[in-house]
Amino acid sequence: MKAFEYAVAKNERGVHTAINRGYKVKAGGIDLLDLMKERIESPDKLVSVLAVDSLGGVRETDDHIEVGALVTLEALTVDPLVAKIAPALADSVRQAATAQIRAVATVGGNICQRPRCWYFRSKEHHCLKKGGATCFAVEGDNTYHAMYGRGPCHIVHASNVATALRALEGEVAASNGTDERVIGADRFFVTPDRSMYAENTLDDDEVVTKIRIPKSIGRNAYVDLKEKQSFDWPLASAAVAEVDGKWNVVLGAVAPVPWYSKEATAVLRDAGEVNDSVAERVADAALKDAEPMSRNAWRLKLVRAAVRRAVLMADGKEID
Amino acid sequence: MKVDNNVALENKLSRVDALLKVSGAAKYTADQYPAGMIHGKLVRFPYGAGKIKSADVEAARKVAGVLEVEIDLAEEARYPGWPVGHIVAESRTAVEDAEEALGLSFEMTPPSSVPDRIYEGAGGLDAEAEQRVDGALRNAAAVVEGTWRTQVQTHSCLEPHGSVVDCRGDSAEVWGSTQSTFGHLDMAEPTGLDRSKILVHNEFVGGGFGSKFGIGTEGDLAGRMSKKYGRPCKVMLNRREEHLDAGNRPGSIQYIKLGADETGKILGGRVDGVSIVGFGRGGGGVTNLGDERFNNYDLGDYEFTQSEINLNFSKPRAFRAPGWPQATFALEGAVDELAEKLGMDPVEIRLRNYRSKRRLKQLEWGAEVAGWSRRRTTGSQTGRVRTGMGVAGAMWPLWNTQCGAEAEIHRNGQVEVRVGVQDIGTGTFTVVTDVAVHELGLDRSLVTGKVGNSSYPQGPGSGGSQVSRSAAPATRKAVLAALDELKSIVAREWKVSREDIQYKNGVFENGDKVLDWKKACSLMSGDKLTVSGRTETGREGDGTSDCVQFAEVEVDTETGIVRVKRIVAVHAAGVIVNRLTIENQICGGVIQGVSYALFEDVRLDPNTGAMVNPEFINYKIAGSKDVPEIIPVLDVEDSDTGVRPIGEPATIPTAAAIGNAIANAIGARVYQLPMTPERVLGALERKEAGA
Repeated sequence: MKAFEYAVAKNERGVHTAINRGYKVKAGGIDLLDLMKERIESPDKLVSVLAVDSLGGVRETDDHIEVGALVTLEALTVDPLVAKIAPALADSVRQAATAQIRAVATVGGNICQRPRCWYFRSKEHHCLKKGGATCFAVEGDNTYHAMYGRGPCHIVHASNVATALRALEGEVAASNGTDERVIGADRFFVTPDRSMYAENTLDDDEVVTKIRIPKSIGRNAYVDLKEKQSFDWPLASAAVAEVDGKWNVVLGAVAPVPWYSKEATAVLRDAGEVNDSVAERVADAALKDAEPMSRNAWRLKLVRAAVRRAVLMADGKEID
Repeated sequence: MKVDNNVALENKLSRVDALLKVSGAAKYTADQYPAGMIHGKLVRFPYGAGKIKSADVEAARKVAGVLEVEIDLAEEARYPGWPVGHIVAESRTAVEDAEEALGLSFEMTPPSSVPDRIYEGAGGLDAEAEQRVDGALRNAAAVVEGTWRTQVQTHSCLEPHGSVVDCRGDSAEVWGSTQSTFGHLDMAEPTGLDRSKILVHNEFVGGGFGSKFGIGTEGDLAGRMSKKYGRPCKVMLNRREEHLDAGNRPGSIQYIKLGADETGKILGGRVDGVSIVGFGRGGGGVTNLGDERFNNYDLGDYEFTQSEINLNFSKPRAFRAPGWPQATFALEGAVDELAEKLGMDPVEIRLRNYRSKRRLKQLEWGAEVAGWSRRRTTGSQTGRVRTGMGVAGAMWPLWNTQCGAEAEIHRNGQVEVRVGVQDIGTGTFTVVTDVAVHELGLDRSLVTGKVGNSSYPQGPGSGGSQVSRSAAPATRKAVLAALDELKSIVAREWKVSREDIQYKNGVFENGDKVLDWKKACSLMSGDKLTVSGRTETGREGDGTSDCVQFAEVEVDTETGIVRVKRIVAVHAAGVIVNRLTIENQICGGVIQGVSYALFEDVRLDPNTGAMVNPEFINYKIAGSKDVPEIIPVLDVEDSDTGVRPIGEPATIPTAAAIGNAIANAIGARVYQLPMTPERVLGALERKEAGA
C-alpha cells in the first residue's frame, strides 16, 4: 500500500471540501483498502466519512424509505422498516461476506464497489478496465464472468444491494456539496460499452448520500446462490419485486450491471398469479437473452434456480 | 461398543497458550520489530514463463529509503512467482514503492498451464503386467474403470513464511516462521556463520502443513541482507507470494481399473497415476499414487505405474499427508463404484478387503455413530435436495525420532520443561506441559512447558505427525529424572535411601514423614536443578495408525451446491494427552479436507500462466458456515502404544468420504476435485443422458 494522507470529515461540507482538494472518499474501506493493498488504486489522500451523521440512518418519508449511505450491511439486515417493506433489500446482504465485514461495510460502499474480476484485480493483467487493450476473460478463465451483455469488458457487478435496488425501482441520491440529484438504479449502474472505467454514473465530485426505495413496493424477494456459504460472491442471484402493482425481475452476478430481464418480467406480469408453473416459465424466460462465455454456461442453471425461487418466495410460497 | 476409554493422561483442560493467542499477546515472527530493522522482498515474475524485458532499476533505487535493488534480466522464469531479483529498504512501503518504480516489462513464453493439454492418457504397464491384471479380472463379477482428477492446493498457512534475522558480529538471532526449529539453523548458510552461533526463536508459528521446513528463498534473503547491512532484516511473504511460491499439494490424474468377485473380494486391478507437479519434484506428488504400501487394501493381482507432468507452477512441498488424499480420493471412490456394481454396501466391501483389523472395528463403530443404517440406496431419491452418506479410510505409519528434553525444578516449586520441538498451532505447548503435569501429579499452574527455541534439547521438526509422539516420552523421561534428583534431596534430609521415598501427586512420604512439593523444593541448596532426558526413538508401536471417516451430505440437484452436514471421524488415538487438543487436530484435518473436497483450486490463466486467484476471495477456502458438524471418535484401544500421530491421517479420507456421499445422494459420480456445482451438475447431466 502506498503511503497516503488521511483526514476525517465531521460533516458533509467537510467531505466536499476534502473532495475538492483531491481527497478520495473512504467509508467502511472494505473494497478500497483491498484495491490499495494491491495497488490497483493508489490515492494520495483519503477522507473518512464515517463520522458524518447525516449520511447514516434509515428514514421514512411520505413516499420512500431512505437508507443512508453509511448504514452498515448488518444494520440494513436488521432494520424493521426495511424488513417489513423490502425483504429483498435486507436479504441481499444478509449472508454477504462475513459477520465482521457486514458490521463495517456500508450500503454506499457496497453499491460503489469495484468489480471482483480476477483480471481486473491483478496488476499483471492490464485489462480493458484498467486502460489496456484486452479483456483477458474472453480467452481466459471466465468461469465467474458475465453471461449477459456483450462486453467488451465482461465483469459481473459485485453488489448484491444493486440487484435488489434495481428490482425495487430504487434510486441513488448523490451530492457534490452544492446540488443533490437522485438517479434511478436503472441509470446509476452503467454498462462498460458506455463507461469503461466506472461502473456507475457518479461524477468525480459526487458522493452517494443515500439510497431510497418507494413505499409502493408489493411482494418482493431476493435469492442468491453461492459456492461457499461464508465469504463468497454469488454465482447467480435474482431479485423479484412488485412496484405499483407491476413486477420486475432482475438478475445479479451475471452482467456488468444488475440485469433487468425484460423477458422474465413480461412473463411474470402477464401471468396474473404466481404458482410453480409460472415460476418455471419466468425462470426459463430469464435465460432467453443470455450469451454465456466459454466456461460459464453451466451457471445459467443457477440463474434459472435463483429466479424460480425468488418468484415463489416473493409470493410467500414454499420452494420444493 | 468400546469406542473410548478414559486413559490416565486424558484431560480436558484448554490449551496453555489459549489466552495468549486469542488476546494477541502471542508474538509470531511477523510481529518481531527489532530496533533498526530493514525490510526485504523478492521481485517475482508474474506469468507462467518468460523473462524480464526491462526494469528501471535506477528509478527504483532512487525511491526514498531504498537500500538496494537487484534485478537479473538473464533469469528465465519458469512459473508465476519465480524470483528475478530483490529489493531492500527501510520500510515495507518503500519496498513496495520501489517495486512499482521498477516499471517491469516482460517477455512471455507460452506457458504450460492446463494439465489436460499435456496428459496423454494412462501410463503404460508392460505387456506382462497388463496380462496379469487382465487375467485376474477375467473371472471378475464386476469391473470398474475410470479417470480421477485432483487439483493443486496451496498450504494457505495463516502466518506467511518468513524470517527476521539479526546478525551481530559472529552470531545471529533469528525468528523464523518454521516447523523445524533446528532446520532453521540453515540460516548459517546466508549469514556465513557457524550453526552453533545461531539462535532460532519460533515460539509461535501460524501453521505450516509441511511447507515450512527450510529457510526458503525468503529466509535466505533475510540472512544475506542482515549480514550485509549489519542490521536486523525481515522478509515475510505476502498472501500472493504464499500461494505462488511457498509450496503446494500437487494435482493428479489417476486411471484406475479394479475388479472383484461376487463376494466383493477384490481380485486385482491397476492404477496409472500421473502427478501434476509444477516445476520440480517433491511434495509426495507421484510417490503415493497407486502404491500398495500406502493404501488400505489387499488388492490381489495389482499393478501400478507412476509418472508426472510438469506445469509452469511452483514446486510442490510436503503437504499434510503428502500424496495421500489424492490417492485415497481415487481409490476409495473406485472401491465404492465396485460395491455399487455388485449391489454391496460400501462398509461391507471394505470389511471384506481392508487389511488392517483395527480398521474393521473402526468401520463398525463409525457406522453406528454415523447412523449408517439410515443410508439410502444410491440413486433412489428423486427430490430436489438429496442426502447421501459415504465412507473412506486411511492409515498412517508411526515415525519415531530421537528427541531430547530438559526439566528444571526451581527452589520455589515451579517446573519448567524445555523441548526443542515446535508448536505450529497443533498444541505442542499443551502436550509438553500436560505430560509433565501428569507425571509429577502437580497442579498445572506449577508447570511451564516450552518449545520453539534452538537452545533447547534437540527434537524433530513437525513432519510425519511425529512431534507429540516423540516429545511426550522425552518429556516424561526428563521430568521423572528430575523428580529422582528431588527425591534424593528429600532422602538426604530424612536420612533414608531414595528408594524408600514414596511420591504421589506432589507429596513425598516415608513412614510417618510427609513433605509437600514446595517444601521439598525449598530443601534445594541451589536455585534450581536441571536434568535432561532423551529418547532414542519414540515408543515402538504396532505398525500403523488407522482411521475411517463417514460423511453425510446434502446435494441440491437444481444448483449442484453441496453442503457437508456431518463428518464422523474415527481415529486410532493411542494415549490421549489432552482431549481438546487431539479433537481439535481431527477437526482441523477434516475442515481442510472439506475445503479440499469442495472449494480449493489453484487457477492458472491458460494464456498468461498467471495464477488468477492468489488471495482468499477467489481461492476459495472453507469458511465458518461451510464447516459441518464434526464428531471425533477416539479409538484408544491401542493406548499401550503411546501417543499416536493424528495431524496427517485426519485429513486423508475426508474428500473421498464426501465424494462417496455425493454419489450416494445423486446416483452419479463426480470424478474430479474440487466437487463444484459445475461438476455436480455435469455428473447429473451425464446420468440423465445415460452416459
